[in-house]
Amino acid sequence: MICKRRTSFTVNGMQKTVEIEGRKLLSDVLRQDLRLTGTHVGCEHGVCGACTVIMDGKTVRSCLTFGVQAEGAKIETIEGLADTPKNLHPVQRAFWEKHGLQCGFCTPGMVLAAKALLEENPDPTEEEIREGMGGNICRCTGYVFIVDSVKAAAEAMQSEGA
Amino acid sequence: MSEMTLQPKLFGARVKRVEDPRFLIGKARYVDDIVRPDMLHAAFVRSHMAHADIASVDATEALAVPGVHAVVTGADIVGQTQDLRADSRYDGWQTSITPILANDRVRFVGEMVAAVVAEDRYVAEDGGEMVSVDFEPREPVASIEAALRDDAPMLHDGWKDNCFIKRQFEGGDPDGAFREAYGTLDLDLRNNRYSGIPMETRGCVAEYDVGTEQLTLWTSTQMPHIIRTSLADLLGLPEHQIRVVSPEVGGGFGIKGQLYPEEVAVSLLAIRTGRPVKWIEDRQEHLMASIHAREHHHRIEVAYAEDGRVLALRAKIYVDCGAYSVFPWTAAMEAGMAMGNLPGPYRIRHYEAENYSVATNKSPLGPYRGVARPAAVFSIERVMDEVAAALGMDPFEVRRRNVIRPDEFPYQTVTGLNIDSGSFIESMDKVCEMADYEGLRRMQEEARKEGRCIGIGTGIYTEQTGHTHQEFAKRGVQVVPGYDAIMVRMDPSGKVLVQAGAHNHGQGHETTIAQVVADQLTIPLEDVRYVYGDTMSTPYGTGTFASRTAVLSGGAAVRATVRIRDRLFQFASHVLEVGPDDLELHEGKVRVKGAPQLNVPIRDLARWAYHRSEKLPENMEAALEAVATYDAPPGTGTFTNAAQIALVEVDPETGKVEILKYFVVEDCGRMINPLVVEGQIHGGLAQGIGGALYEELVYDSEGQLLTTTFLDYLLPGFGDIPPIEIEHLETPSPFTINGVKGMGEGGAIAPPAVIAGAVEDALRALGSVFVNEVPLTPGRVRGFVESARSKAGDG
Repeated sequence: MICKRRTSFTVNGMQKTVEIEGRKLLSDVLRQDLRLTGTHVGCEHGVCGACTVIMDGKTVRSCLTFGVQAEGAKIETIEGLADTPKNLHPVQRAFWEKHGLQCGFCTPGMVLAAKALLEENPDPTEEEIREGMGGNICRCTGYVFIVDSVKAAAEAMQSEGA
Repeated sequence: MSEMTLQPKLFGARVKRVEDPRFLIGKARYVDDIVRPDMLHAAFVRSHMAHADIASVDATEALAVPGVHAVVTGADIVGQTQDLRADSRYDGWQTSITPILANDRVRFVGEMVAAVVAEDRYVAEDGGEMVSVDFEPREPVASIEAALRDDAPMLHDGWKDNCFIKRQFEGGDPDGAFREAYGTLDLDLRNNRYSGIPMETRGCVAEYDVGTEQLTLWTSTQMPHIIRTSLADLLGLPEHQIRVVSPEVGGGFGIKGQLYPEEVAVSLLAIRTGRPVKWIEDRQEHLMASIHAREHHHRIEVAYAEDGRVLALRAKIYVDCGAYSVFPWTAAMEAGMAMGNLPGPYRIRHYEAENYSVATNKSPLGPYRGVARPAAVFSIERVMDEVAAALGMDPFEVRRRNVIRPDEFPYQTVTGLNIDSGSFIESMDKVCEMADYEGLRRMQEEARKEGRCIGIGTGIYTEQTGHTHQEFAKRGVQVVPGYDAIMVRMDPSGKVLVQAGAHNHGQGHETTIAQVVADQLTIPLEDVRYVYGDTMSTPYGTGTFASRTAVLSGGAAVRATVRIRDRLFQFASHVLEVGPDDLELHEGKVRVKGAPQLNVPIRDLARWAYHRSEKLPENMEAALEAVATYDAPPGTGTFTNAAQIALVEVDPETGKVEILKYFVVEDCGRMINPLVVEGQIHGGLAQGIGGALYEELVYDSEGQLLTTTFLDYLLPGFGDIPPIEIEHLETPSPFTINGVKGMGEGGAIAPPAVIAGAVEDALRALGSVFVNEVPLTPGRVRGFVESARSKAGDG
């Protein structure tokens, strides 16, 4: 008999309640139960960072988090940053301007990692960007244009904030 | 001339990609995002033995797991599909049959034995664990050396030895050249096994509609049309009843450029269960059972002259092809291309080679970004460095004395490659200038005085691109990709839909091909939409691989657009009452040359072409649609070239290699979009650096794969890839439409050679050593350090 637990949390500001089997990963809950398929699963063992979401203000790997652990949490996924191409977040705009993506599979995790980094350190050096984004792997870009994107996003966010 | 872009506005511009927003907001749809009504989920039971007979498969307990719908074994599908067979047309070929699900024998760890279909993937995997397979072990063959032993067990029944094929080449007079040589070298070189590792694993969803008798397969592939034909052939279904859709693909790099048994198996599961079935590969499966690449062992004798010219090569090329020949490329391709490309961009006229495509109990080997050339370039560039070292010459000087000269194009290499054009000497000069090569040497000198091991490495290479029927026919494959195809449809509003036979998965075609089309019609980029991936809505094309799309799809797009333009002119000529030769396109209007006030907007012509048939000239059909294919002459490809320099520092105590700087001069002919070109160079380099320093699929002597997670198989991360400086040269192809050459693979080709040269150069601070193997893991580097120190001590 499969035991499910009723779990409540917010995703992108919306209250959600889901019946979740204990072993089900948060990545699968988001993708399958809530149909938020912008969160991608690249390795299922916590190395590649494609499944990165923001939970209570911190980046977590949703493939290493059980859905039931989200009880009471505030979760932010890529879908929370912009709902159409017309209202992109500065980080998303910077990735577009600087060609910070190719196949796009790692991109939602990258964008969220960059956003979290810039919220903590609004003016990072290149070394701090490479360190701060080091938990995410991209196989297409060789990182050069992602680093440029994060720099450009930092500048844009600072000038917009100023 | 009619096929040249006459008024380039977008062609050559750094246009940001039009496809990006849907990826950035998380709305791009990959195969795992597809959900069908009543969909079931599959998990495969895979062999944990490298080589064994299957005595029995017992599914009883698996079928008892609640939620499991079916367990399907090899025996269950006998007669429902043919097995996969990728035969070469070369004489002496020994065939291998890849079972869809192994029935009597397994030949590598990860080979599929059974499929479990269940309510969800968790339950399918539960079921998989309950399937009991009784294996009777056979002796595994886990290396080239083990496979070629006289008493080695045969991988396949009826084989005479463990080689899919052995081939030879001889050109010029190698024996004579060796007799006259000033010096000779005997080198042993190894590129280990690594692979493309796209961030999205493989996966597919199959659905069979009993009413329409249509099979639909959504699959993460680079070549949807080839998959469709192959499914029709194997399953015995009419091809027009099969639809293959390759949605967004999260990276391919060649790894998704073949037909896999999983695609056939999932199709069968959907037919069998009558419900849609999804399979998403997990990362461990990917590392075990998606194709691997590289794994070359070369033994090379070199004859050289006193002035640094390489006179002759004798090469023995061994490639560990794994258990089966991959479809459609065959197990012959990797070693064959290595043999053909080994002399590199150099004027080496005497060459003798043997190649061995060896079968072992490992995952099948297939094409990955660069295909064979990383190993071939590794060998020839290491040769150049060793000749330089032997003669006390600068490595660039040796290359300059050997490389094809500007006045020699088109140059036919000793192995028959027709190098159409290039900028070998110019690119070397330019990369030395941008890196301040002399300055780097001085800095190296200073660093050595401080006891630091700093090294400089270089490599130059060609990248054969846009090659079509002649080249693939020569490679002996059964599916000979020649052309690719584009359909251009101008709708009644004057906007344009470009439907492509090839697939786009990160290369930016949606932007670059649209740039070409928009320029041709003098319309804005946003008036052109590029679609791909669905065999129901795209013309038959071969797919995206081998750096071919800019040349072939780009050329086909020009051709199809020219046909639309010609019809617009035919129509406008009637409307404006002038001859079509007196017309030109300008900013979305057809106008009379010399009388621009006499014009008609394309959007009016388009509307009338569909809705106002009475306005059409008598001999003109309604609608504005054209399909074109392009098979670029001369069929043997157009050659991109590049020169690279790396500056590295080696820590002799830990064996860590740090890349301090990396410089690239790339010449891919006329660039459609430099931004996209640079992104491709960066990405290729990162993968090449992975192969040079980190990535290795390690098997033990029993054929067990030891690197089954990303903690064992190391992908380069943010901290591992240095800033990369790029400059471009643009030597147009004399053959292709718009002078375009392909690119994309190139970045991945040279880094193993460049970095090995740099590490060897760095270790000269300690002593002389020949760096002959990649990846240069800390353990291997430590070995070279010890060897350098002990030789220095002996000396």
